[in-house]
Amino acid sequence: MTLLAITPEGWAGTQILGAAGLAAIGVYQLLPRPGHRSVALGVFLCLAALGIAGAFLFGAFGDPSPDRISSVLFWFFSAGAVGFGTVLVAQSNPARGAMAFAFVVLSTCGLFLLLAAPFLMAATVIIYAGAVIVTFLFLLMLSAAHGPSDENDRTREPLLGSLAGFAFAGLIFFTLFQQASEKVLPTPPLTALDRDELAQVRADLDASLAATDDATFDRHATAAHARLREVIAERPNTSIQRRLRPSLGVGRDADGYPRPVAADPRIERFVEQTDRLYATNSKAEEITLDGNPQVALKAKKDALAKLRDEVAVYSGNGLLPARNVANVGYLLYSEYLLAIEMAGTLLLVATIGAVAIAGRRGVPA
Amino acid sequence: MISLEHYLAVGAVLFGIGLVGFLTRRNFITMFLCAEMMLQGVVVNFLAFGRFHGHLGGQVFGLFIVTVAACEAGLALALFLMLYRRGKSLDSGDWQGIREDGLPPTVDLDPLARPRPEPEDPHLPAAGAKPVSKEEALRV
Repeated sequence: MTLLAITPEGWAGTQILGAAGLAAIGVYQLLPRPGHRSVALGVFLCLAALGIAGAFLFGAFGDPSPDRISSVLFWFFSAGAVGFGTVLVAQSNPARGAMAFAFVVLSTCGLFLLLAAPFLMAATVIIYAGAVIVTFLFLLMLSAAHGPSDENDRTREPLLGSLAGFAFAGLIFFTLFQQASEKVLPTPPLTALDRDELAQVRADLDASLAATDDATFDRHATAAHARLREVIAERPNTSIQRRLRPSLGVGRDADGYPRPVAADPRIERFVEQTDRLYATNSKAEEITLDGNPQVALKAKKDALAKLRDEVAVYSGNGLLPARNVANVGYLLYSEYLLAIEMAGTLLLVATIGAVAIAGRRGVPA
Repeated sequence: MISLEHYLAVGAVLFGIGLVGFLTRRNFITMFLCAEMMLQGVVVNFLAFGRFHGHLGGQVFGLFIVTVAACEAGLALALFLMLYRRGKSLDSGDWQGIREDGLPPTVDLDPLARPRPEPEDPHLPAAGAKPVSKEEALRV
């Protein structure tokens, strides 16, 4: 995995092409058809494609960070979703396919939970894994075929179909890889550890704002400043730049800190604020020499208060409201009121239509 | 930290696999489940974008997709039931009579594999009777 991940930048296209090609041939081997097919070869090719695709993702966008748990859960759930999805496509018994689809839904629900959507996760489990799968299992039992049948053991154009599907996925991978250097997509939100750090910075800033003498003020302000620079330096960015920047010699700033390369405007503002704080400090020292220490302290505190506000705003970056159900409900019934009325109407019409279609009895064959 | 690209990639792969299944499989129900899997990939994309923008709009969109999928499931079930009553099969190839004008029909040339004979059920002696063991039978 790691060996595959450490490749020159130019190999990304080869990796994507290899993964898509292997997956297409593997699924072609697995798809049911009357002639000879090798299941072992298909499984092996699919696993190899999964490994290469995972290594590509890990190498191109992966980011070593302290947030191990969510990373492990992400790989677990996404591997489950993709694996059971392949089983659904390749399984000739539709009842087993339906069970595989239930596992696909459960795995995606794990991803939903990682994406901070507990309500949607519960709704999906109830609707898909509960209602849809059970209903379709009823229909399958009704139409159970004995022995091989046309619909289960034949496929339409298996090679062309799998090539089309994996060409699509490969193109998306390639587009993602291309845009990574242009940074069109939003940066990752702060992790819990980042937030803890920022909370400590805020505590230091508050302490120095509450200080009445110069020494206390300076101690807390310096601590906050140092910690803040560390947080800024640790901001995640794509590993592509992380790999390129140090070799170009622009990875570190004058103080030896790794320069944040993710072009987040808020980080830029941060750096400006801290620099201005230093400038104000030195200016305040000059004022102190003039004589009035209270005025100097007030000027310093004003600059620091601005910085604290910035930190407070930045701590909320990417933070979704905690009361998920209440907030989604509020959004549904305020901003999306018309849309939800239309969705309700659609459900009603669909119910009427389903009853009208399925209710006809004794239709001649 | 998992970045947005990871989620987008997983969504794309789910969509791609669903596409393969929808294009190639012939059982109506499997085709339907593959279409649902494509929708799942799309929902993952919406949720990931909402998460990384720090906005709940993605989740609202996901809810609407689930609603539409539920409607679709109900209607599809009713349609499949009707088609099954007419043709006694869930094979989409049976309905190629409604294909576009001028297209040649698809004919399945290869014969299907013969079903494997199922192993016979074990023979059980009548209840209450003493089973004759092999040794006794030999002695007699």
